Amino acid sequence: MQKSVLDWLDLAACRFGDKTVFQTKENSICFSRLLHQSKAIGSYLCGQIMPRSPVAVLTGRRVDTPACFLGIVQAGCFYAPMDASMPVPRLRQNLEVLQASHMIVDREHLETATALHFSGHIHVLEDILQTPVQEERLAAIRRAITEEDPLYVIFTSGSSGIPKGVITSHHALMCYIESVQKVLQLSDSDVLGNQSPLDYIAAIRDIYLPLLTGASTVILPKNEFSMPTQLFETLDTYGVTTLCWSVAGLEVPAKLHAFDSVKPHFLKKVIFSGSVMPGHVLRVWQQNLPETVFINQYGPTEATASCTYHVVTETVQDDTVLPIGIPYENYRVVLLNEDGTETPDGQTGEICISGPALALGYYHDPVRTAQSFIPNPLCPQYRSLLYKTGDLGSWNEQGELEFHGRRDRQIKHMGHRIELDEIEKTAGMVAGIEQCCALYQKEKEQLWLFYTGEATSRDIVLHFRQEMPAFMVPRKLMKLSAMPCLPNGKTDMRTLLSYMK
Amino acid sequence: MMEELMNILQELRPDVDFETETSLVTGGILDSFDIVSLVGELNDAFDIEIKPNHLVPANFNSAKAILALVEKLQDE
Repeated sequence: MQKSVLDWLDLAACRFGDKTVFQTKENSICFSRLLHQSKAIGSYLCGQIMPRSPVAVLTGRRVDTPACFLGIVQAGCFYAPMDASMPVPRLRQNLEVLQASHMIVDREHLETATALHFSGHIHVLEDILQTPVQEERLAAIRRAITEEDPLYVIFTSGSSGIPKGVITSHHALMCYIESVQKVLQLSDSDVLGNQSPLDYIAAIRDIYLPLLTGASTVILPKNEFSMPTQLFETLDTYGVTTLCWSVAGLEVPAKLHAFDSVKPHFLKKVIFSGSVMPGHVLRVWQQNLPETVFINQYGPTEATASCTYHVVTETVQDDTVLPIGIPYENYRVVLLNEDGTETPDGQTGEICISGPALALGYYHDPVRTAQSFIPNPLCPQYRSLLYKTGDLGSWNEQGELEFHGRRDRQIKHMGHRIELDEIEKTAGMVAGIEQCCALYQKEKEQLWLFYTGEATSRDIVLHFRQEMPAFMVPRKLMKLSAMPCLPNGKTDMRTLLSYMK
Repeated sequence: MMEELMNILQELRPDVDFETETSLVTGGILDSFDIVSLVGELNDAFDIEIKPNHLVPANFNSAKAILALVEKLQDE
């Protein structure tokens, strides 16, 4: 019986032993060592913390970051990874939601961790890796784990200004990874190239597919994403065969014409998600890599990364809008009208998801959990939960799902979910801003902020850089003498939209 | 020309001190989206064409290096 990711880890260590599982340009770690390190960390933690408690993780793009995650799991707990490059106020917000009593940090980020005024215990990763393994104690903890126990909490933008911690079980993660593997069909000879920050939902493929399949993952240097010719050379150096990247990550090399100078030679499969893939970007990739399979994915963190997929068989044109496809196995997707009835084929309704891969909800937030995870109105006969994505979609004649944007003011930018309300709340804290409105220019992928008041655009950007991750900083700021209004007093968004042309 | 370049850089990232910074790329100060925007603006403003083989950290690590790249491409 496989009830936790530790069962995958055991099996992989047994089958693949000293084969590399994770590597960076500086370091690498094999399957057996990964298992050993996770047990060392688990042994260190287990005497100090109750099972099923959260442990915050603040580490960089390093090969022992996954070991740290799995070590927390060995102690019967769940991990809450955080990006150390995020501003301190943002990290504090996440910690406030989490209320953890322990944090693991690498030495490089110890200073950042100290600046957070974290009230619990801070442990330095490098110091605890040498802990002697307590096999019996870990085995007892293992015995008590159920597959519904939480595995991780991953934070995402919340419209109230308080981040939402999506909490996911072992079972949900394993369902998703197994389903995506059915489509990707990786083997132990495959090499994944990791783009996503390791604390972000998209990284779960790069971390867990190797445990299931024996493939390995190269954690690519972040800097190379701005120098794509170097990036492509690195892909070749490590023989990378598979990319699970955000659309944003694929856009940069296409926009900077990286293919004109070098092509990655070993790429067989590219799976992308995070936002709508522009046809002209995918066309560049398809033309340069005619043998490579491209797969479009769609899905929210709340349904464990992705719930539908579409294998691109067509040669795309500049204006092609790809369908988001059919549900992965073990996922069910229904479209609902506002009154809770099912949307007929061809018409637009809210995309709702059910099945075992749903998250356990939002951590420490029963109110928002109940709003989004509802009893399935189409299934009153027994207990079944439905997650309301807030996305709109329709079924096309081929039985595939098509995506039609959002019901609310959430946008996707640089692969991340952003609530425009949260941008406005942040801007509202700047002295000298009276009114403001955040909007998104989709074609140019620019986040705009319109405002009235004395503040300068420099004041505003500096404030955002201190408070928010880089992808939430407005790129274009426009000062107005007065906010355009509709007769009912609401902001006239249509006029503002015309300013962004 | 340095002045025009500085205006572009300041507009792009008002939080960065371009006068002194010498590891804009290797230090991870400019991310990939900054580079995409910057390349587009440099091409337009100085009527040049930055090619993929110019995209190496040495050409983008400082305002001075960027200026040198622009001047080199204008001469070509």
